[in-house]
Amino acid sequence: MKQANATIEDMRKRGVRRTVTVFGAIAIAIFLLSLLQGLKYS
Amino acid sequence: MAHAATHDHHDDHHGAPSNFFVRWCMSTNHKDIGTLYLVFSLLMFFIGGSFAMVIRAELFKPGLQLVQPYFFNEMTTMHALVMIFGAVMPAFVGLGNWMIPLMVGAPDMALPRMNNLSFWILPFAFALLLSTLFLPGGGPAGGWTMYPPLSLQGDSVAYLVFAVHLMGISSIMGAINIIATILNMRAPGMDLLKMPVFVWSWLITAFLLIAVMPVLAGAVTMLLTDKYFGTSFFNAAGGGDPVLFQHIFWFFGHPEVYIMILPAFGLVSEIIPTFARKPIFGYKAMVFAIASIAFLSFIVWAHHMFAVGLPLGGEIFFMYATMLIAVPTGVKVFNWVSTMWGGSMTFETPMLFAIAFVILFTIGGFSGLMLALAPADFQYHDSYFVVAHFHYVLVTGAIFAIIAGTYYWLPKWTGRMYSEFWGKMHFWNSVIWVNVLFFPQHFLGLAGMPRRIPDYNVAFANFNMISSIGGFLFGASQLIFVGVIVHAVWFSKKKALDRVWEGAKGLEWTVPSPAPFHTFELPPVIHDEELAHGHVED
Repeated sequence: MKQANATIEDMRKRGVRRTVTVFGAIAIAIFLLSLLQGLKYS
Repeated sequence: MAHAATHDHHDDHHGAPSNFFVRWCMSTNHKDIGTLYLVFSLLMFFIGGSFAMVIRAELFKPGLQLVQPYFFNEMTTMHALVMIFGAVMPAFVGLGNWMIPLMVGAPDMALPRMNNLSFWILPFAFALLLSTLFLPGGGPAGGWTMYPPLSLQGDSVAYLVFAVHLMGISSIMGAINIIATILNMRAPGMDLLKMPVFVWSWLITAFLLIAVMPVLAGAVTMLLTDKYFGTSFFNAAGGGDPVLFQHIFWFFGHPEVYIMILPAFGLVSEIIPTFARKPIFGYKAMVFAIASIAFLSFIVWAHHMFAVGLPLGGEIFFMYATMLIAVPTGVKVFNWVSTMWGGSMTFETPMLFAIAFVILFTIGGFSGLMLALAPADFQYHDSYFVVAHFHYVLVTGAIFAIIAGTYYWLPKWTGRMYSEFWGKMHFWNSVIWVNVLFFPQHFLGLAGMPRRIPDYNVAFANFNMISSIGGFLFGASQLIFVGVIVHAVWFSKKKALDRVWEGAKGLEWTVPSPAPFHTFELPPVIHDEELAHGHVED
């Protein structure tokens, strides 16, 4: 049981790190794209 | 409503720091941070509400009575900013913080320290924003939409922009946290299509937040550089285009409307099945409808700009795309009604607010359909009809759902029952006066009264007076809400059971009331019949 919980913890940690990296990068990319739109059309 | 389950874990706060500062300022516990969000939101609700009272007092009769026009414009601008970013959004984040880990069987949010930071940014953001009211030159007065060149007048642009940036950073971090929690922290066996609709609605809302808050940040950054660094993004004299701002702003702004209503859909989808004692009708359809509404929210932004001079093809596209939203929204409304159909219904306060939500939100939806018609919108645009429309959606929609959710889960949070009598007093006063407040505004708008004006033609006097009376009494009714919460938290003698409501299903009802400081440190074993939406494959 202990080992199963440790595996769950590991999987959660890895998953969380991946999720934060992906969505953080998306948020920054969208911010930069908005500024690029401003430059393009002004 | 009674339930046979008993337990002896009441008032179990094992692990909660005893030091007030450490517990509340340095908290990484999802329940405490949820409470902080909800208390902050209630405070902002009353600050934003007091601005609304100034607006309604000034509009009580024609002529300038109480405030100068510039201050009136500050009030309309700040009322919207405070209510949207300070009251409604933090309230949903608070409810999500409290309930999502409990509903998916997670021990906490995925990123507890970031959760703390997300919250504690907000008081600084609003201190920055509200401080402008006390500075020479006054606060932002160009409307919450911040259209240039109007919004670039005055000296508070930098305060407004930095406050919006802080709110945006807080929202994006909160959204990433919620996505990371839902995707990675669910208990084994809690499949995506077994999650409560509230959790689904927050997952989809979090995607919307990540997609559009950076766009708002981009828009206000360009405002800032136009104001202080000599750029001409939105300055026609320098080769820029003010309409560009409107496109960028509403690409954020329309999904923002759904950010404020999708979690409300989720809340109502939890409450109605509980008090109808039936599973939600069409669980998968409800989830897909939320996802469809979220998708459509990205392709309808220019319906806010019909009167700006769009090409005809654009007007037609945005008109039909907007009308399309009625399809998934209709699915949801019919499914809520079908859930109630044939159910063993009881009408406790959360259910009353949820039913009022279904009826009154639908009225707001219908007036939205009227506004979606491009030719008709030329008449309605910038009139009080628009004000009536979005207040039906946001007050009797989003805020009624937040109130319903608070009554629904308050016994789980506090371990004590609230006063049902005073809850119902709050409901009936709210539902009567909110209609007295906002329904006449439809007639004012159709008769041609523009929005955002401190004075008006005497022809509009009667309906404005009725609306103001409704406004004062609706505002006063919310003091009952505070009284009910204070009583439930500190004075109520009536202990809540674990499963507070007889018909309630879901993991949150398997933990004691009040929910212990730490829950699900070991992942719970999921039994399908215990879930709110078990047996979805049927």
